[in-house]
Amino acid sequence: MPPASDLALLVPELWLAALGLVLLGVDLFVGEQNKRTVGWVAVGGLLLALVPTWGLAGAVHRPGTTVFFGSYAVDGFAVFFKFLAIIATTLVILASMDYFRASGDRQGSTQRFEGEFYTLLVFTGLGLVLMAASADLILVALSIEFVSLTSYVLAAYLKGNPKSNEAGLKYFLFGAAASAVMFYGFSLLYGLTGSTSLYVIAEKVATVPAPALTVSLALMLAGFGFKISMVPFHQWTPDVYEGAPTPVAAFLSVGSKAAGFAVLLRVVAVAIAPSGLDYVTLIAGLSAVSMFVGNLLALPQRNIKRMLAYSSISHAGFILIGVAAFGGAFGNTGLLIYLFAYMFFTLGAFFIAALIEARLGSDDIPDYAGLSQRAPGLAFLMALFMLSLTGIPPTAGFFAKFYIFAAAIERSPALLWLVAVGVVNSVISLYYYVNVIRTMYLLPPQDPARIQEPAVLRTALWVTGAATLLLGLYPQPLITFARAAALLLP
Amino acid sequence: MTAYLPIFIHLLLAVLLTAALLGAHALLGGRRPTVAKDEPYESGVWPIGSARERIPIRYYLIAMLFILFDIEAVFLYPWAVAFRDLGVVGLVEMLVFLGVLFVGFVYAWQRRALEWE
Amino acid sequence: MELALFIPFAALALAGGLGVIASGRAIHSALSLLLVLSSLAVLYLLLGAQFIAVLQVIIYAGAIVVLFLFVIMLLHMATGEPAARGVRPWRAGATVAAALFFAALLSAVIRTRATADLGVAPAVGFGTAEAVGRTLFTRFLLPFELASVILLVGIIGAVVLAKGSLTLRVHAESRAADEAEEPREEALTR
Repeated sequence: MPPASDLALLVPELWLAALGLVLLGVDLFVGEQNKRTVGWVAVGGLLLALVPTWGLAGAVHRPGTTVFFGSYAVDGFAVFFKFLAIIATTLVILASMDYFRASGDRQGSTQRFEGEFYTLLVFTGLGLVLMAASADLILVALSIEFVSLTSYVLAAYLKGNPKSNEAGLKYFLFGAAASAVMFYGFSLLYGLTGSTSLYVIAEKVATVPAPALTVSLALMLAGFGFKISMVPFHQWTPDVYEGAPTPVAAFLSVGSKAAGFAVLLRVVAVAIAPSGLDYVTLIAGLSAVSMFVGNLLALPQRNIKRMLAYSSISHAGFILIGVAAFGGAFGNTGLLIYLFAYMFFTLGAFFIAALIEARLGSDDIPDYAGLSQRAPGLAFLMALFMLSLTGIPPTAGFFAKFYIFAAAIERSPALLWLVAVGVVNSVISLYYYVNVIRTMYLLPPQDPARIQEPAVLRTALWVTGAATLLLGLYPQPLITFARAAALLLP
Repeated sequence: MTAYLPIFIHLLLAVLLTAALLGAHALLGGRRPTVAKDEPYESGVWPIGSARERIPIRYYLIAMLFILFDIEAVFLYPWAVAFRDLGVVGLVEMLVFLGVLFVGFVYAWQRRALEWE
Repeated sequence: MELALFIPFAALALAGGLGVIASGRAIHSALSLLLVLSSLAVLYLLLGAQFIAVLQVIIYAGAIVVLFLFVIMLLHMATGEPAARGVRPWRAGATVAAALFFAALLSAVIRTRATADLGVAPAVGFGTAEAVGRTLFTRFLLPFELASVILLVGIIGAVVLAKGSLTLRVHAESRAADEAEEPREEALTR
């Protein structure tokens, strides 16, 4: 039995699990018309979960600290992703409340299961927290499956909508296959080292023959690559983002991706790196391919959600630069800063897509024409998010890209070509992001009526917008925080 | 491993016996098919319609819930066997596990997932 | 002894696996899967994991294949379209990729055999339900408790996706109808 002090370090996780159970109970007592109550309880509970997490951030900084017999890490890296997961979940629930109402009305008779939606989102948030902190292959496997399971259900949530059904089914088939391949990789790694604990594997991995380790790494990358939508495991992304409820697509592109990167980084940096295997070249190659494929396929997209899906693939490529550069004293922070900043402007862009979809019933970029007249606030925010996705100052996106490129340059001169690829891709991406701004500001509206902005969704939007701008103008607190979190190896 | 030898011998005998009986039937028994003999056996009732009907999704829900609680029961077994060593701590651990699933049971019950309607 | 059991059951598992993907009918695939899963149970036994072997039979070969059969019967097999065969270039590519992967795996196995220390016998009592229980409730406590939450989410997911909207409504209506009928019954009795 682990000592009680171990449990004290698990308070955020225990709190989130209890919150999920409470929500399920609240949902049973709340009438069909007041399901928002469940959402508000969820938001309140999630915000309260930040308190013990903040306590951990002050208490634990020593890298490689684990509890529960080495299976669960409570280092700064894990705490960083706890914050990220909780904030992302809160924002997505806020955005879902209005979206759900509007899309539910259009669905007509189909039972909405709105309370369960918030409950599943909270449980997914718990899964993301667990993923980022797992230091044992069994726990890694279970937490990834946990997040996948809830995500399959959430993607298929609009039962009356064939596209949502398709999204759920495709996500499930891809996810099940990717998980199976990844577990094969885990079992090889376990067989080669005789342990499931990443930190024990790290001690033994140097004696493992390189071909077997390479096969194991390749198999594991299939599973992680699916979660972060990295090429060549990206094919599900556009269809799932298009069909899934828009807040769920936002959550997948931010939450699952960030937690996937956390797992990838922990497994690679802790368990694989000591073997001396040259994983950097492999990651750098995948990064370059992901950037090019994502960006080039994003160019012809008309549907905003598909465009954001391909953009999400190319951003996976950018973040992979950070994985390749991980290990340098300055570079460690690059990836964390990118993921944290990326969360805000991507969520923001998806939330606007959700709002437009709920109001106009359309996901097509041409229908954004004249948005600057129909909803000036929305158009301004969307322009901000698009500039941030491109990486133009003074937004958070510029600062994130700057840091990740700097990390690669500092890490090794061999990564310079990757930085060049990144810069070229930023220029390519400018075309389709600015196209959205052009449509909103320069094209005349088809229907001059103003667009109503629901209050709760507007709150979520302004939070993401303010964060996008603030992190771009004054990034110092995030840098300090990420620096404390980035130390991973003992 | 050798402890399992009887089981494998049993398995082998079962396969051999089945093969022998079916083989003997195929070799020695005659075949005189009639229409009535080729009909699917429906406990004495005349078969009507195709056997390849779709079954309602209700079956799926019940089967799914069955499997989930089946797996819950499976976890009880190693706990029960090692119960003396695990002591009160093990009991608390198991109660937490069961408590979470009890919430799931109450949920399924309240959502009328256990009713055949 | 071990090899004498391993070879036939590994061959059966492979044959079953081929049957799953080669069969045109979903029911036959599911039954081939049954063959794979039961052969795997024997392989687990050979590895000394007796408790897992029993679970494999009870849960996978028992419950899960039955669930698969249910799901197959949910679909309309009679009028359903035959499974689409993959596009030819994709199939060729997939075959090449699979062959390459197999070659990589084979070379990895051969290279590992030369260096790794194989043939470590498991400890006495390894793989019994008691040993599994002791590890599960100490070292793997966190994964164990997480399993309960995963099962809970599974329950929610099954209800959300499979529970139709109408049933709830019908219930509410019938209950409303019951309430409406009550005064009438009173009137009749009076």
